Parts: sequence; structure tokens; C-alpha cells
Amino acid sequence: MKVVTGVVGNDIHVVANRLIDLSLRARGYDVYNLGVNTHLQEFFDAVVETGAEVLMISSLNGEAEGWGREVRLLKSKYKSLDDVIMMIGGNLTVGSGNAEDIVARYKNYGFDIVCHQMDLNTGLDMLQDLLEARGLVSEEAIA
Amino acid sequence: MSEANEKLLIDVGSTYFKVASPEGLEQHFRDFNSDIFDDLMNKCGDTVQRFDKNDVHICSSANGGLSTLIIGVTRSFSLKYATNIAFNSGINIIDTVLYQDLEDYSVPGELIDVVIIVGGANSHKGLFSDDLFAYLKQLTYSNIVFTGCEHDAEYMNSNIDNLVVLPNIIDDRLHIVEEHLKEYLTNLYQQDIEGKEDIKHLYDITGNQIFSTPYIVNRALPTIESRFSVANPFILLDIGGATTDIHYSKDLVEENIVTENEFDRLVFKRLGVYKSKQSLILAAQGNEFVYELLMHLKVTENIFQEQSDKATKILMQLAIFLVLYKMSHHRQSYINLKLLTINSIVLTGGITKVLTVEDIETIIVFFYRKILTSDHKPTVVLDDNYDIWTLGARV
Ligand code: B12
Repeated sequence: MKVVTGVVGNDIHVVANRLIDLSLRARGYDVYNLGVNTHLQEFFDAVVETGAEVLMISSLNGEAEGWGREVRLLKSKYKSLDDVIMMIGGNLTVGSGNAEDIVARYKNYGFDIVCHQMDLNTGLDMLQDLLEARGLVSEEAIA
Repeated sequence: MSEANEKLLIDVGSTYFKVASPEGLEQHFRDFNSDIFDDLMNKCGDTVQRFDKNDVHICSSANGGLSTLIIGVTRSFSLKYATNIAFNSGINIIDTVLYQDLEDYSVPGELIDVVIIVGGANSHKGLFSDDLFAYLKQLTYSNIVFTGCEHDAEYMNSNIDNLVVLPNIIDDRLHIVEEHLKEYLTNLYQQDIEGKEDIKHLYDITGNQIFSTPYIVNRALPTIESRFSVANPFILLDIGGATTDIHYSKDLVEENIVTENEFDRLVFKRLGVYKSKQSLILAAQGNEFVYELLMHLKVTENIFQEQSDKATKILMQLAIFLVLYKMSHHRQSYINLKLLTINSIVLTGGITKVLTVEDIETIIVFFYRKILTSDHKPTVVLDDNYDIWTLGARV
């Protein structure tokens, strides 16, 4: 199972990105880590080049909102991204906000899993559940 | 006299050739009615005879370079990497085609020297299908190379005749791998020069490999300060009869793709002042600022129809402007240089025999004011004795 990950926009908070990389590998995923400072088009392009099943975007500095609004339009320009599982986590708003509203908004932007200020392992468990539900993995194995 | 000075250096250009011996530099216009070898021996046979074959070094820019069309699957990776490698190898890019939008592209009518197909990390497969093969059938090309994901190589090979397969230019971390494609393209360029009947004949007088002129010039750049007082960073423009080359240091490029060379180069195939004069004029007429530039130079568009020294001079000035324009942010091109940080502009090639420093400065000032709205004024360095070329040839 291939995952493209990275931190969106001009965001340079790198710690979570390193942890995500390590945790995904520990769970058996093939990781393509684009690192910090990654633009939306680069994420989509990396999915095309790798054939990744999952796109996992991080945002820590509050930029996510702006990028989120661009997702649908940009994704519609690609002809091979319909089945990609799209996931986003970190600090998904500027300042504090109501988690429920935030999740609904990002789902509307086109994300399948939204993890606002959520612990990483909880988020990765949600991914595992979705993969199983879609019949993409069995309960034991990822890779 | 040092040993290096015992060499005879010959540069065969599209319009004239230069011969540098320890005694000095000779320059002759080419006689297009006779072949290069005969022409050369006619004009400088005595000089050539005095040297041992192994002391004669020849380079040529007479062929004007190769052209490529690149087909890739994304702008951020495959197309970007292949484009970067192609122009570092001195190849002219006709177009870059995003595979998923293949049907939106028009089919280039001209003969393409090499088609490059690229896409996919090695963990992926099945990126291309029949629509690509149908598109390729409409093209006319001399060479075709696949340098994408390894699992697709066999499938591509069985569907495309005479396909050359190279290792992927994208590695497992989605970083660029330059060497294989670069070597392939550089060799093609080399073969193209050697393949010219005219040039082959020149091996009668040299025991050394005949290189392309841009390669030789590029090789001189790291040591340019030994001959000229240039302030870093600088760009070098080689404006000749058939092509214009621009060499620039990597610091000037905003997009940082890590490569080994300190200096890159770009060749504009159809921006020359003699052989490709018509396309230079076309490029000028299509540029929205040229009319104003002509006014600034106190001439009218009629100058394009004239055959005079004055007209040649104006064309050379336009060539400088057009090259800078192509490199600026004003025009989204393959590469945009940080032109505001340049401290020197070095000029070499035929242009240095015609233009004075003042003629060039007025263009540069116009360019910076008009296009970059800045009073920045890099110093102009004229290599009017082909020192850069001799420096590169002696390395
Ligand atoms: C260290 C830090 C910095 C360092 C970053 C150094 C570096 N290169 O990494 C520096 C000083 C450079 C910095 C700069 C800025 N920062 Co700062 N920074 C922090 C700080 C203190 C810690 C971040 C960190 O590393 N945490 C440790 C990691 C492990 O935790 P994490 O990032 O939260 O990630 C966890 C979860 O969010 C989750 N997660 C993350 N991504 C994803 C993705 C998925 C899919 C899932 C499931 C989970 C998940 O998993 C991780 C582990 O559990 C936080 C405050 C805080 N305490 O969180 C502010 C903070 C992130 N920064 C903030 C801001 C505003 C900035 C600046 C804009 C400040 C400024 N005005 O200049 C700049 C932005 C720079 C830029 N271009 O991005 C704000 C963001 C506010 C917002 N979103 O509303 C914060 C929250 C501080 C605050 N409370 O105001 N910052």
C-alpha cells in the first residue's frame, strides 16, 4: 500500500511529518514523503507518478483552510485520481474551532478522513478501518 | 612558451571559422560553395600543416543542435526532470506534452531529433496505453527513448519500434536521476556533429575528438576569472550566425534541482543573426516591446528589410533583448533566471566583432527599465578576442 505524504503550502513545521513517515513505515506502508513546503499540485502529481492509493496531507500553521478550497477544482483536472483516499490532519483552522464543523467542511472539500488536532495513531487507525471497509486490505496486513 | 600554447584550436561555426595558433587568431568567413575541409585548407592550410594531428583541437557549432519533444505524466516530476536534463544537454525543446491531455496537443510538423517519454516511479506500472502509440505514429522523429518506470519498459519496447530504454530518471524518493539520459543526449548531440559528412572529413587533420562549441564554452566558465574581470553571478551570451547560447550559473535559477554542473546552458536554435535571420526577425515582430525598442534605437521596422551593416547591428541588439526577455519572469519559460541579481553579462561570438560596449549597454538598460522596472545595470564584458573559447579548448 503506497502513501504520498507531506506538509501543504508554505508550512515548515517538520516534526509531525517525520513522525508520520516513521509511523507509516512501521505499519508497513510504502511512503513517498514530499516533506514540508509542498504545493497541492505536487501532491497530486506524486500520486500520479507513484500510483499511491492514499494521499495524506498535514497542515500545522493554519494554511489548510485556503488550500482545502482549491482541492476539488485542481483534482478535477486529473484523469486518474478518482479512487485515491484523501486524508488531512494537523491544525486545520486558524486558532480554535469546533471540530465537528471543521470535519464537515473538509469532507465537503473532498477529503475522506479529517483529523483536526487528533493524535496520529488514532488517525492511522481510522485509515486502516477505511481501507478494510473498502476491501483494500485484510485485518492483518497492509503491505 | 607553455605546452598548452603549442596547440592549434579550430572552431567551425555556421558562418565563419576561427583558428587560434600560438601566433594569434585568424578568422575567415565560410565559403558555402566548398566543403568545410577544403575551405579551411584553402584559407589556413599552411598553419594546419605545421601542427601534429594530436595537437589540433576542433569544435563545431555548425549543426545548431538537436530538437526534442518530451512526453511525461506530471508537470512537477517527470516533465520537469526530463526538461531540465534536456536543456542541460544543450537540446532544444520543441514542446512538453502532458500525457493525460495528449489529445489537446497539436502534432508538431517538423522532424524531431529525439522524442523522450518519461513517467512513473519504479513502484508503479501501466502508465501508458494505445493512445500514446497512436500519437507517436503521427510524429516524424529520428530517435525515441523511454526513461520512465521500469515495469513499463518491456510493454513500451514491444509497442514502439527502435525504442531505446534507459533507467528511470525518477528515483524511489521521487528525486531526479540525471546521468543516464544526460549521457544519452550528449552522445546523440556528439554523433549529430560527427555524422555530418563535412565534419567527418576534419578527422583527417585532428587526432582528437571534435566537440560541440557550447560544450567547450561551458567548460571555460569555472575559470573565466583568470582572463576577465567578471563579477559573480554572471551570464554569458554567445550570439552567433545560427544560434544563440546562454550559459548561466546555477545560483541564478530559482527552481533548485540538484545537479552536478556549476553552470548550465540553453541553446536557442533559431535566434541567430545570419543563418537564422528570418526567424530572429519573426521572433522580434512577435514581441510586444520590440517596437518601442526600435524607437529607442531611433530606427523603424523597415530596418528588417534592409541589408546593411546598420541592419545587422540592430538585429544583434534585438537578439540580446530577446534572449534576456525569454529568461525573465515576464515570460513563463523553461527556466527563469534571477536577472536582478546578475552582476555581469559576458558576450562572446560573432556579435563582439560588430557591437561596442555602448551598443550593448543601451539594450540592457532598456531591458531592465522596461521589463523589470529596475535601474539595475550589470557590467558588460566583451570577449572580442575569443579568449573564452581558447580557454575552454585548452582545458
Ligand atoms: C515548533 C513550532 C514552530 C517552529 C517550527 C520548527 C520546525 N521546523 O518544525 C517555528 C518556530 C519555526 C514555528 C513557526 C511558525 N509557527 Co509554529 N509552532 C511550533 C509548535 C510550538 C510545536 C510544533 C511541533 O513540532 N509539535 C510537535 C508535533 C509532533 O506535533 P504536531 O505538529 O501538533 O503534530 C501532531 C498532530 O497534529 C498530528 N498530526 C499532524 N499532521 C497530521 C496529519 C494527519 C493525517 C494526522 C492523522 C495527524 C497529524 O500528529 C502529530 C503527532 O501527534 C506549535 C505549538 C504546539 N505546541 O503545537 C506552534 C504552532 C504550530 N505554530 C503556529 C504558528 C502560527 C507559527 C507561525 C505562523 C508563527 C509566526 N507568526 O511566524 C510560524 C509559521 C512558519 C511556517 N512557514 O510554517 C501555530 C499555528 C496556529 C494555527 N494553526 O492556528 C501553533 C499551533 C502555535 C500557536 N498555538 O499559535 N513554529
